[in-house]
Amino acid sequence: MTSRAEIQDLKGLAERLVRLGKSYGVDEIEVGIGDGSEFGVDVRMGEVENLVEAGSRALGLRVIKDGKTAFAGSSDLSEETLDRLVRNAVRRAELASRDAFAGLPELPSRRVDPGPLDLFDPAVPALEAKRKIGLAHETERIGLADKRITNSHGASFSSHQGWTVLANSKGFLGEYAKTYCSLSLGLQAGETDDLVEDFWFSSQIHLADLESPETVARTAIARTVRQLKPRKIGTQRVPVVFEPLVTSGIAGFLSSCVSGMAIYQRASFLAGRLGERIGNEKVTVIDDGLLPRRLGTSPFDSEGVPAQRTIVVGEGILNNYLCNTYSARKLGLTSTGNADGGGVSPNNFYLEAGPHPPEEIIRSCPKGLFLIRTLGHGLNPVSGDISRGAFGLWIEGGEIAYPVSEITISGNLGDVLKNIEMVGNDLEFRGSINGPTVKVAEMQISGL
Amino acid sequence: MMIPFEDHFHLSPDDLGRVLEAALSLGGDFSEAFLEYRVYSSIHMEEDLIKETSESISLGLGIRVWSGEKTGYAFTNDLAPEKTRNAALSAAAIASGSAIVPAAKLKAATSPLRVYPVEAAPYRADLADKIGLVREAYAACQAFAPAIKKVTAALQDQVQYLTIANSEGRLVSDARPLVKLSCVAIAEGKSGREYGYSGGGGRVGLEYFAATLTPAEIGRKAAAEAVQLLDARDAPAGEMPVVLAPGHAGVFIHEAVGHLLEADFTRKKTSIFWNKMGVRVGSPLVTIYDDPTIPGFRGSYAIDDEGTVPQKTPLIEKGVIVGLLQDKLSARIMGRATTGHGRRQDYTDFPIPRMANTFIDAGQDDPADIIRSVRKGFYAEQFTGGQVEDSGKFTFSVSAGFLIEEGRLTAPVKQATLIGSNVDVLKDVDRVGTDLAFGMPTGTCGKEGQDVPVTDGCPTIKIAKMTVGGRE
Repeated sequence: MTSRAEIQDLKGLAERLVRLGKSYGVDEIEVGIGDGSEFGVDVRMGEVENLVEAGSRALGLRVIKDGKTAFAGSSDLSEETLDRLVRNAVRRAELASRDAFAGLPELPSRRVDPGPLDLFDPAVPALEAKRKIGLAHETERIGLADKRITNSHGASFSSHQGWTVLANSKGFLGEYAKTYCSLSLGLQAGETDDLVEDFWFSSQIHLADLESPETVARTAIARTVRQLKPRKIGTQRVPVVFEPLVTSGIAGFLSSCVSGMAIYQRASFLAGRLGERIGNEKVTVIDDGLLPRRLGTSPFDSEGVPAQRTIVVGEGILNNYLCNTYSARKLGLTSTGNADGGGVSPNNFYLEAGPHPPEEIIRSCPKGLFLIRTLGHGLNPVSGDISRGAFGLWIEGGEIAYPVSEITISGNLGDVLKNIEMVGNDLEFRGSINGPTVKVAEMQISGL
Repeated sequence: MMIPFEDHFHLSPDDLGRVLEAALSLGGDFSEAFLEYRVYSSIHMEEDLIKETSESISLGLGIRVWSGEKTGYAFTNDLAPEKTRNAALSAAAIASGSAIVPAAKLKAATSPLRVYPVEAAPYRADLADKIGLVREAYAACQAFAPAIKKVTAALQDQVQYLTIANSEGRLVSDARPLVKLSCVAIAEGKSGREYGYSGGGGRVGLEYFAATLTPAEIGRKAAAEAVQLLDARDAPAGEMPVVLAPGHAGVFIHEAVGHLLEADFTRKKTSIFWNKMGVRVGSPLVTIYDDPTIPGFRGSYAIDDEGTVPQKTPLIEKGVIVGLLQDKLSARIMGRATTGHGRRQDYTDFPIPRMANTFIDAGQDDPADIIRSVRKGFYAEQFTGGQVEDSGKFTFSVSAGFLIEEGRLTAPVKQATLIGSNVDVLKDVDRVGTDLAFGMPTGTCGKEGQDVPVTDGCPTIKIAKMTVGGRE
């Protein structure tokens, strides 16, 4: 584990490189350093399969000279290498084009105190390796004890603790520490040529928030065996209910479509639509970098802009794009604190919960597909088109009737947002992108 | 015609020997050191501007220890003696006892394969010349049609210097180049906005863009796809005959067959193919190889990431499973020999069995005849990728294609994901063309969080029926 003194060293290194860049004549320079250690164990069929333990550091920097930008990065933090990288970057910047929008953000007037965000759990680095291995063993053991389970992809426990340090020539200097832990299990059920599989996971900042081996294993079992003996259904248009993980996937697709980078590049079907209605009034989508103890939370982004809560879609109206400093300047907006390297990524991005228990949503469908898993690519941000392999449970008379597979689901994100009829009350924060159960009035299913 | 190896590690064979010994000190029975120094650079152009350039360096050591079938792994990016020793001891902890096997004395070996046709390391080329290539692709794309509203073009190149040493006494190095020039076009028309992508490269030098595929061709192809899609209608929905265009349709075989013949899924019995060695699983027209030794291809290498010289490996011969893609661990557990398919993304990962360049061999049918034989179906031309699970259910996504009506390609259609079960679809391959071609040389395959460059290939083939996930 990195000590306080070592973090001071890393801050010192970042500041030294900022000064070095200035001495080579850059107008602006930004230096970010990540320092972390990780642990991972995979247990399969009752035996430890892999055990990984390591620490690593990486540094990234950006220089701007005469409105021209160059980036550099290294995992070799020797003085000689870093000096060469800074010199090269200054030289390369001269060959780039002048861009009036390039540059660092102004020094923020507001700072987010990392303390209340509660992003570092000392219990994570303190947990003994033996105990971590034990959690994975316990999870797999419960999974394999179920008679219907025929094979295991293994159970894994992994953890990470790391520091992020950022300094720039506008005078920004900040750091924060963050922990991460996760427990997961993948299972198979069924006969030789009729296999079904699924997994379950829990990932959190705090060990105390992690689901127990029992919960992870029971959920993985239930998710796997409910798919046994699937049928293939006919090609048709029906109402589709998304399970929360599927909603999260669609929310992730939406997050790429509201990225300021995609917007100014016109690589999104939502370009030029700020202020317009893009969904019905049941749809509210938030990006919130300030939620305590959540995976997508941090006090500042990769440019040092403080985290904030952004209403992306408010009751169906597209209110905000997610921007870093560059895309914000291009679009005449302000940064939303979503810079990530040279691009944009969401913090905690989620579809807000609605009033309906998930059972009530299923019951509302005389006929429909309960979509539990998708397979493949087939998401096109430029057009908003969706076409993916699908696994689900068929709904008849408001009840789950039987599993279906080897079908695809297709539609357009714009239509999906307009046709969301019911939103579930079951929003959970399992990753940095989340959503509850939702019902879409109608989508195209391809089958027989 | 190779990049000379450069030693950025400054560790003598004796130093490495000490690391391998420390890794075995708790009773492991095999240890390995994987040293990597990677220089990566990129140029990005959009809105008529060279927006930015970047350079990055990745340096690290990964140490692997086996204790029976268990793997211990540790890595560090500090090569100071006490840090490498600590990493070795972390990896050693997979065993718990005292040393039982000594590390053999290291003997330097070299690969006989010459698979990198490169005149000079691309990162040593003049930056202004490289910017010229990006500008050329960009300009050709933009000039293709007035409908093209936005273009981005990028050049990425890297050289990966490796030294691998193991307790069996093997010591071997490699210097792998990798280059990619790619272009994205956004076209706008009455019907909305569409996207086209094209790219070129491989384990080649910049001379590739003069001799094999010019930047202008790459730019025009990206633009042509975007423009074609503006007029395209929605893909059909339902089960129908599908004809795959030669080349990148190899992603079909990558997903339907390749992954499930990676040996780790067989020894774990999670692959639907695990008990089907020697069994007919497909039409006799289907013969599939994986060949990491094709010069210049993205998936090629002179040694794999365990130091093994790779072999062209038959996977399916006339519909019968005949081979697996093996790495050292799976080979050891299964009592086989490795085929040189142990690959890893970088020093932070331990190797697992992976594909390299996977293809369906050419057949007997005239491609034009294959299309003529279909009364009503779907012609899949451009692909964006695919996915498979161990049960054999797989998808691949088509970005552009055509309807086939009465034996002719008619209306262009856009995005559709196709889904099937490999044991059914392989049997349904009923025509295989003579026109084997390899797909766009920009492909990347992800498995267990590790990305590696790959190539896929296939001739024109027909699948009697598959579910097409369109909207009409």
